[in-house]
Order: sequence, then structure tokens, then C-alpha cells
Amino acid sequence: MAIDVSKIIHAVMEGSKIRESKGIIPLFGVYLSLFSVNYYNRLSFDFEIKMGQQREAEAKILLIEAAQECGYATFHGIRDSWEWEQVVAPMVENKVDQIFGFVAVAVAFGWGDLAVEEIVAGEKLVLRASDSYEARGYLERYGYAKSEKCYMLQGVTAAFMDLVYGDDYPDGCFAFATQELRCRVKGDSYCEFVARRSSD
Amino acid sequence: MNIFDWQNELNRDGHRVVISGQPMAMHCHHYNINLQKTLEETLGVEGVQLLYRSAEESNYDSLQHLFNQYKKIRSIKSKLEMASLLYQNCGLGIIHFRKVRPSSAYIASTSNHHVTGWLAKHGRRETPGCHFTRGWIAGALEVIYQRPLGFYIVEERQCKMKRDEECIFHVKER
Repeated sequence: MAIDVSKIIHAVMEGSKIRESKGIIPLFGVYLSLFSVNYYNRLSFDFEIKMGQQREAEAKILLIEAAQECGYATFHGIRDSWEWEQVVAPMVENKVDQIFGFVAVAVAFGWGDLAVEEIVAGEKLVLRASDSYEARGYLERYGYAKSEKCYMLQGVTAAFMDLVYGDDYPDGCFAFATQELRCRVKGDSYCEFVARRSSD
Repeated sequence: MNIFDWQNELNRDGHRVVISGQPMAMHCHHYNINLQKTLEETLGVEGVQLLYRSAEESNYDSLQHLFNQYKKIRSIKSKLEMASLLYQNCGLGIIHFRKVRPSSAYIASTSNHHVTGWLAKHGRRETPGCHFTRGWIAGALEVIYQRPLGFYIVEERQCKMKRDEECIFHVKER
């Protein structure tokens, strides 16, 4: 059975309207918040700037790792949740379907129009986005750049593979690493994320 | 105050999530707390300042946009109510504007996303850690009192991340 993206988006949108008494959104096994994409973009890109040219590579690694670790824990929680069981699991027949389910949740969260371009089971995942909030935000604030800027999506792409093809949770994080081979901030027409085993 | 229909304002514009037309992202405590920890550990005071300023600026812009759309919300009281409604409905927590004046304020948060997230991931900390909420408050009050960005300083005197009973914020002019 194919993954019905619109069904997952609908479930996330409906669930995100429910608040418990403490003003927290407990959904898909995690505590969700909704906040302006400008906040996340300013935080990431100004962090990179403040780290300066000498520590630019370190800044990128830190931002990607923060996202990968988060993606790993977040989507583990999501996969274990009651909502996943009810909405997504009936559509999942194999490991590849799980990846499609994760991507649908990421789209539902407003991270971009992500789509799976290629999956080689256990080896490689290619995602594309023609409009991620990171690339759009960078272009709006700073214009074109020489290097790719979608750090959150780089980390999350690898995390999807970690969860599905890495060792059992919590030992599988960083089994995969992502390269963003194309990015809109470099003038490409879409951003492309390729996750492969870290040792490759 | 029921002029602000939250359920209708949270919507989708194609693949984007929007509130009153403004693009939003849903993120969970893992990401928000990871970002905070990364910035605090890597840049120290400068990282804390970046968290604060980013929240201040983005909330300033968001609320400015909302108040421009909801022209009937004019009084300070109803603007404060709308701000705390927004905070709650974005899953950021509960905020009480207990004593607010144009030049100073006393604000409490009985629960919030960052406290819940921090305690779940790292347990108790020794210093106040609601940098996001401090910035958020500064941005909110600057819009509501029509002051420029950076006009207020918000200090957190008590913090639930330290296991205090509430997060208590004091606001004064810079």
C-alpha cells in the first residue's frame, strides 16, 4: 500500500490543534511547538556567522549533528506513538514505506516540499525539496551563497536512514551521513540530500 | 476575547504551515533543546544572546503582523491576552502577564515547552534557561507598547529548569 501523504498531513494538522492544560502539544509521542521559521533561520545562520570563517566547518557540523540527533529521537518517538500506530502503520508494509512515512510527517511539520527521489535499501536515500524553509529563509535574508545551507534537513535525512537501517535505537544514530549536493542558495533549482553509510 | 479564531488561523498554504499567513515550522523539544545546548556550549554568553534576540525579533514581527490584521484588538489588555493565547496555542506553554506597565513588568510562566523539554532531556540545571521565553516576552512588549526592538531587557529571576516553582521574568527598559 502506498503512503497517503495527505492523510498524514491531516492527522498532524488536526492533532496540532489539541493542547493539554499546560500549553504543550503532545503529538506523535513528542512535545511539539509551532514557531516562526524566521526564528530557526536566524538562529542557524547567525550562529554560523558568529562562529566566523575559521570555525565555519565546525558550525555546520554542530548544526547538522543537532538536527540528526533530534531527528533520530523525534522520529523514534513518532514511530512508537499511538498516532503512528493508528494513522501511518496500516500503510507501512516494509522499511522503505517507513521512510516515506517519515518524509510525509516532515512535510506535515512545514519543513519543505520534501519528496523521496531514490532509496537503495540499507545504503542510500535521496530526498529533494524545491522549497525548504531553510533555503527560502537564507535567500530572503542573505541572497545566494557558495555553499549549501539546509543543515536541519541534512541531519534529518540521515536520521531517517539511521532509524530504519542503523542499529536498534538508541545505538544507531550517525550510522548515516548526508551530503546536500544541490541547494537553492547556490542557484540550483532544488535542494538534494543524499544520505549514505557514514563509513562509505 | 474571541476575535482571534486560533483554529482557523492555523492552516496550510500548500506544503507550508501558516498562522495568519505567516510561515511556521513545527519542531519538537529534541530539536529546540539541542539548538539551545549547542549555542550555549559553543558560544557561551553570545549564544544565549543569539537565542534571546532571535526569539525577540521573530515574535516582534509575528505579533506586529497579527495586530495589523486584527485592528479591533486595540487595548493593552486585549493585546496581552492575544499574546498569551498565541504562546499557548503555539505549544510554547502558559504565560501570565501579572503586572505590566510601559516601563516595567512582572511575568510568570507556570509551564513551558523549553522547561518540559530541558528537564526531559537533561534534568535540572543550575542557571535559568528560558532564553527563548525571555526574548519572546521582550518582542511582545515592544510591539504592544510600540517600542523599538531591543527597548526592553528581560531577566529570568526564577526558573523551573532549576526546579523553582515558576519561571519569573522581570522586564525593564534597557
